Amino acid sequence: MAEAWIRGKPAPLDDAIAEAANIVAGSRQPVIAGLGTDVAGARAAIKLARLVGGVVDHMHSDALLRDLGVMREAGMMVTMPTEAHVRADFLLLVGPGLIEAWQALPERLFAKRRIVWLCPDTAAGSAGAYENVTVVGDTPAELPAIVALLRARCVGRPVANPPIALATIDALVAELKRARFGVAVWSAARHDSLTIEMLCGLVNDLNAGTRFSGLPLASADNAAAVQQVAGWMTGYPLRTGFGRGVPEHDPWRFEASRLVDSGEADCAVWISAYGAWPPTWKRDVPLVALTGNPNTIRTHVTITVGRPGLDHDSVEHLAATGTLAAASARHPEAAASVASVLEKIITKLPAARPC
Amino acid sequence: MLTRLAGGHVIDPANRRDAIGDIFICDGRIVDAPAGGTVDESYDISNKIIMAGAIDIHSHIAGSNETMGRLVLSEQRAPWDGFHPGHFPRPAGAWNTFETGCTYAAMGFTTVVEPAVLPHQALQAHLELADIPIIDKATLTVLGNDDFLLNLLRRHEGGVAIRDYAAWTLSTSRGLGIKVINAGGAAAFKDNLRAFSLDDEVPEYGVSSRAIVKALQHAVHELRLTHPLHVHCNNLGLAGNVETALATIEAAENLPLHLAHLQFYGYGKEGPRGFSSAGARLAEAVNAAKSVTIDVGQVMFGQTVTISCDVLRQFNARNSARPKKWVICDGDSNGAGIVPYDYKATDFFNVVQWAVGLELFLLINDPWRVFFTTDHPNGAPFTAYPDILALLMDRDLRAEWMSRLPKEALEVTTLSSIAREYSLVDIAIMTRAAPAKLLGLKDRGHLGVGALADIAVYSPGNDKATMFREAALVFKNGQLVVRDGTVRHAPFGRTLRADPDCESGIKVRMRDYYEERYGLSPDFMMVVDSAIGRPDPFEIIPCLN
Repeated sequence: MAEAWIRGKPAPLDDAIAEAANIVAGSRQPVIAGLGTDVAGARAAIKLARLVGGVVDHMHSDALLRDLGVMREAGMMVTMPTEAHVRADFLLLVGPGLIEAWQALPERLFAKRRIVWLCPDTAAGSAGAYENVTVVGDTPAELPAIVALLRARCVGRPVANPPIALATIDALVAELKRARFGVAVWSAARHDSLTIEMLCGLVNDLNAGTRFSGLPLASADNAAAVQQVAGWMTGYPLRTGFGRGVPEHDPWRFEASRLVDSGEADCAVWISAYGAWPPTWKRDVPLVALTGNPNTIRTHVTITVGRPGLDHDSVEHLAATGTLAAASARHPEAAASVASVLEKIITKLPAARPC
Repeated sequence: MLTRLAGGHVIDPANRRDAIGDIFICDGRIVDAPAGGTVDESYDISNKIIMAGAIDIHSHIAGSNETMGRLVLSEQRAPWDGFHPGHFPRPAGAWNTFETGCTYAAMGFTTVVEPAVLPHQALQAHLELADIPIIDKATLTVLGNDDFLLNLLRRHEGGVAIRDYAAWTLSTSRGLGIKVINAGGAAAFKDNLRAFSLDDEVPEYGVSSRAIVKALQHAVHELRLTHPLHVHCNNLGLAGNVETALATIEAAENLPLHLAHLQFYGYGKEGPRGFSSAGARLAEAVNAAKSVTIDVGQVMFGQTVTISCDVLRQFNARNSARPKKWVICDGDSNGAGIVPYDYKATDFFNVVQWAVGLELFLLINDPWRVFFTTDHPNGAPFTAYPDILALLMDRDLRAEWMSRLPKEALEVTTLSSIAREYSLVDIAIMTRAAPAKLLGLKDRGHLGVGALADIAVYSPGNDKATMFREAALVFKNGQLVVRDGTVRHAPFGRTLRADPDCESGIKVRMRDYYEERYGLSPDFMMVVDSAIGRPDPFEIIPCLN
């Protein structure tokens, strides 16, 4: 099977790498996006961006920035999934998308504790599938109001026209306050940042009397790890650009889809090693894709890459521990890693700077 | 290749050298003057000062908590704002791993210790360290709030079990030494205690903070680790907490013990605001306790962010965040708190803190036992080091600073009565010779034959801060990396780690423990060399004989 294609035709890997380097080096504003990759791939992508004055963005930056936005604007109490596993006596599941974000959530956290799920997914197979889960709230649309009500009643404020019975809210508030170590679980993929801020405010208020903490679930495609790499290598989260020689961060200006669709970016490197998710932009732009499945995206250069931790050794964010952990390949050498391909592209760039 | 650094003022207190002379470098080491061989390369450093590369024993430069701090302070800023974070006199993107290495090197630092690595998060810390260029690094592994240790103590399992566990954790996390942070305080906070002192007991375990500190002190001693137990005491930052620090010093009981950022424990309850300096009292106690070493954790004015595994302290401090935002993490053992803070020269409390740090520097009379730190970034970012060195060396400069600070605050300190000035030899001891001794790094911190050629050359001048901010030349492993304060070459260094004997029984026991407590294999916390992404990432520092 071919590993690389140039304009849809199978090509030797070295030719594809040389062509990719040409495209990136000739670009005035490249974006390096997707970033579904392991830590080594993220390091190489940021190194490439620094060398060519590019922009880095992750396909799940919206969700990442919603949680980070609350940290940057207000305050957040969090805990680790392992600590929730051993200590939580009360689990407040908040809104939809939780099992989708972490399939092992029921197995890791549902046993031996009281669980209330606010406004779970309406789809069958969600909260109803678990015997010990009490549901409060019917649809995700009610969630912002319910979280706000809980926070208001937690500090004893009066409320008007609650969408659900006030007695239900007050009973839940009493339970939250009785918890010895409660944990609120949410997925930023399915909330707006104001709901997350309200929820984190509730958790903070509960700590006036007891212990309560938050557990934001990580986004897919190793987004949490890639954000950490960006943090240490640049000092900023994703949506950071190197166009002026130093890293600059701006969630609007450096959004990959906006850059491509507005014509500001004239080249893109799209990285999706966990699956062949296509880019979200609409405009055609010279595209180099590093992906697990070459047939889904129209590109100038496509190079297939392996799945981290399966086809090559990796370091990735682990949902069960909330930390970066090393994994050994199950099928080593089956396919190239994002890092190895990007490093080869970097060596083909003219006048590479040390970094 | 033989390199000669000719005619500089050699300040090398470890070898009792303080005179004009030459230093020769070959293959990355300092060598004897050749008996007539040819010199390949020569640098004229007459009128300049030459010291070993500096060693920072306590600076939070890497790990998930530091990166959380970077992200929390990552608002969109233009590079010319000069804010990020606080008074970093550099462009906006400066607070990252690459700039960290370059900025340290430009000041003549060649080895830096990241002092707070939680065992479960060690891999990320080492990945970050691997991305810091030029300098060598080391880490301290944090124990003292972990369920396994507290259970050993509760069950009185004794010193051998604790020692084996400490060795196992050091080995999985690739640490050089062990640190304890508010021993038991984070565990107590999970049980809803909001204050925790040396003789308080952790609920459920019935183990006192003192017992945890003592057990770890003995474990470190018996493992023959080069660095003594590194202690972050209880009650950080609180008025009257000098009593806690004094009690902890007494608890050292003539065995080695290092107390971190002691400035944050130098507070009495006197004066109009019930907050005063106890720096003089604390310095006197340190002077008398010969087995105790301390680092200062100097405060400087300006914006910074406090990053600490003392989750209880950070939780209690979160409402005084400047600007108003924070992250508190109930971790698996210690956890962490990120609380931005702006130390103000007009703030009574902050001015007292600034003075307490200087009092400790100036009143502890043995420069071999007082170490130069700001607890970066907690007291100030490490970029403030040159200004602090200048304050220590020049009482007129201190007087000038004090003339601009509120008298009401200075009056509850003794700073204005202190005349001492540090000499260059004192500085070289405090930042080179003594740290190498404290960490057990035999080939660092001095310029004797056989030492690593980690060398800093400074151009003396009236402005001592500029002298220390922009080294004239810096060599790392004999390679020129900095010239005139500018990085010319940025190779990647290594991370120093201990390698204590790890008995196989403990490995089996820990595997069983992780399976039972977490339903997980402990493999997730193993730092493996191949995951670091750089060749030969670690250097082993042998334990004491």
